[in-house]
Order: sequence, then structure tokens, then C-alpha cells
Amino acid sequence: MANQDNFLEGEELDHKLRVYSDITQLIASPENPTPLVRVNRINPNRDFQIYLKLERYNPFGSIKDRIVYRMLEALEIGDRTVIEPSSGNTGIALACVANALGIPIEIVVPEKIPEEKKVMLRFLGAKVMEADDALCPVFPSEGARGLVNAVIKSPATKGSYISPNQYENKLNVEAHYRTTGPEIWQQTQGKVNYFFAGFGTCGTISGVGRYLKEKNPGVKIIGVEPASQNHKLPGMKRITGLAEEYIPTILDSSVIDDIVTVTDEDAYGTAMELARKDGIPVGPTTGAMLHVALRYAESNKGLAVVISPDDAFKYASFYEDFLKTKAGEIKDKEL
Amino acid sequence: MKSEYDLSGFICPLSLVKAVAVIDNLGDGEMVKLILGDSDSLKSVVGELKVRGLKPAFAKDGENRFVLTITK
Repeated sequence: MANQDNFLEGEELDHKLRVYSDITQLIASPENPTPLVRVNRINPNRDFQIYLKLERYNPFGSIKDRIVYRMLEALEIGDRTVIEPSSGNTGIALACVANALGIPIEIVVPEKIPEEKKVMLRFLGAKVMEADDALCPVFPSEGARGLVNAVIKSPATKGSYISPNQYENKLNVEAHYRTTGPEIWQQTQGKVNYFFAGFGTCGTISGVGRYLKEKNPGVKIIGVEPASQNHKLPGMKRITGLAEEYIPTILDSSVIDDIVTVTDEDAYGTAMELARKDGIPVGPTTGAMLHVALRYAESNKGLAVVISPDDAFKYASFYEDFLKTKAGEIKDKEL
Repeated sequence: MKSEYDLSGFICPLSLVKAVAVIDNLGDGEMVKLILGDSDSLKSVVGELKVRGLKPAFAKDGENRFVLTITK
């Protein structure tokens, strides 16, 4: 990126002043960590303290900001177009970084993601293709991934596109090993006992898990997955029962101590309860992970960190749908 | 609208996405030929046509060229 003459020239980046020469400098790092915030009223167990790692405070609004810059920076793009499958967050981060770097971009999204995310991608100028989850026999239930694979490999389009491929890109894991993991370790002063994350591309759980286990092998790494393949938790993947070839190659299973399933109702209900009891508006996947952490709180002691990938606002239509369901109505009245 | 689309350079499911775009724009009574380049693409497109209640005429034009003629 071209450096323009300005008053920052020659100055070292100072996160206390919060003055930046471009937006990508705000992406979280151990020097500029995303906040770790304790949840209080939703968790009655004082002996099992739960902290949310609020990734919405990244500049483009989600945990994916961390991996995107690294992956794009390392790609030899040339005059090719960047294409990536995404349930929204990676796409939004990619579009923002690509715009900052002047790179054309196309995002393939599953049809079922919230309309808000599709609108944001179009607003950012990305070319958006929608793919039915059942579109591709090669990647069953992951049509977007299959479509990008076809664009990269088709004789007619080969050589015109390049994909960061977050499912197989080691820089995805590396970003979390170098930033998210060290941040959590520093912020908890090495006292973290439990780490909760979901399975998606599996970069977060593999990178943070590896870092924390190296610091303290006793830290428990808990993976959270939807209770069924047909779920409404964008970005999350059910690993159990998935054929080996469809599991992201970057997943490091050796760092995972337990895998717990969660239903959509529990995930959405917990997100709503968190918003109403602690005033923290999060996306439904945070609700899923927090629900599992709260179950752990019933019979364990220690300090837990739960990844909160993004915020509630880009899921407004999904929350509206939830509030209309029987489970939503019951939860609404109960709270 | 063209009467023939050579989609043999696209593998599945990109071929299916391209085929669906053509079929969606087909008017009642209109005919179109789709040329596909692999058996996965053929299977997917034929499956999609079946869902839409369309019966294509099939011909093989060489080792890996499958021609579907569709009338809406």
C-alpha cells in the first residue's frame, strides 16, 4: 500500500493514541487485543468465571479480520480475482481488506446466511454468488465450498481466480497461534483453565488450542458443534459424523479435550439471555459456546474463556425468526 | 437468447449454476442446447431439470461431451 506523507511518518504504532495510517492496523494483536469481558448475571457460579473474548471489536466486526489480512498478504494474486466461500464474516473482512489493497473480490455464500450479511457484502462492492448447501455432490452440505473449488479448477476459469482457502490455509491457524492465543494468555495472566470455541474452519480452536496447551498442558480445550447438520448457526460446522475428506485439513484434533453439541434453540436462547442479563449483544454462535460453558459451570471450578466471533446486529432477521418460534416465545416470557 | 451454450469448460457445480441461469431465462416453448463436459455435471443438470419437470433429449458428442436439448 502506498504510504502518503503525513504526520505519522517515522512514528511507531501507538495503540494508546489510537491514530492509524490505515484501517488494517486496527486488526487485533497482543499489542492491541480485543476485550475480555466477564459475564456476571447469566452465570450464578462465582467459582467458574466466564470471560467472553469479544471479537466484534476488530475493525471489520469479527474474528475473521485476524486471518484475512495474513492470508491475502501471502497470496501471489497477480491479475487474478480473489474468490472465497464464506458464511459472511470472512467475506466481509476479505472485502474490506481487499478494498484497502485495491484487489477485486468475489464471495460465494450459502443461501441460508442472514440477508444482512449479503447486503453488507454487496455494499462493500464484492461480487456475491449464492450457493444452495446441497448444490455440490463433492462437498455435500457445503455448496459454497464446492462452487469455489469448481471455479478454481474448471478449465474455462482456471488461472483467472485464486482462493485464500481458509479451510486449508495454515495461516488461518497461525493467525490465532500468534495473536488470539497469546492475547488470552496475557489477559488472564496465565490463569485460564478452559477455552471454548466452535468448529468452523477450525482455525481458532486449532491455533488457540495449540498455544494454550504449549503454555499449560492442563488447559481444557472444548469444541462446540451444532446438534445436527441442518442448523441455523452460520459459520459453525458439525464435525461428528462428517466423512474425513470434508473435515477442514487445518483442524488439529490433538488439542481438543471434549466436543459438546448444542441445539439452535439453546444457542439463540442463551444469546438472548446474555443480552438481557449482561447487556452484551452477540451472534448466535457465541450463544452456542456460552451455553456449553454455562453447562460446565454447573460442575466445575476455574477460569473460562469463550470466543465470541461477532455481534448480534448482523443476525437481526434470524433473531426475529427465533422470537416467533415456540422456544423463542417461551424464552422471551421467562426472561 | 442463444440456442446453444457450451458449458463443457465448467466442472460441477459451476456447470450446474451456469445451466440454471440459462434455464431460468428460457421462455415457454423455447428450446436450448446445453453441452456439458463431465458425468458429474450431467447428473446434476439432469437432476435439476427433473425437479423442474423438464425432460431433455440426450446425445453424446465425443468422449466427454454430453448434449442436452431442453424445451420449456
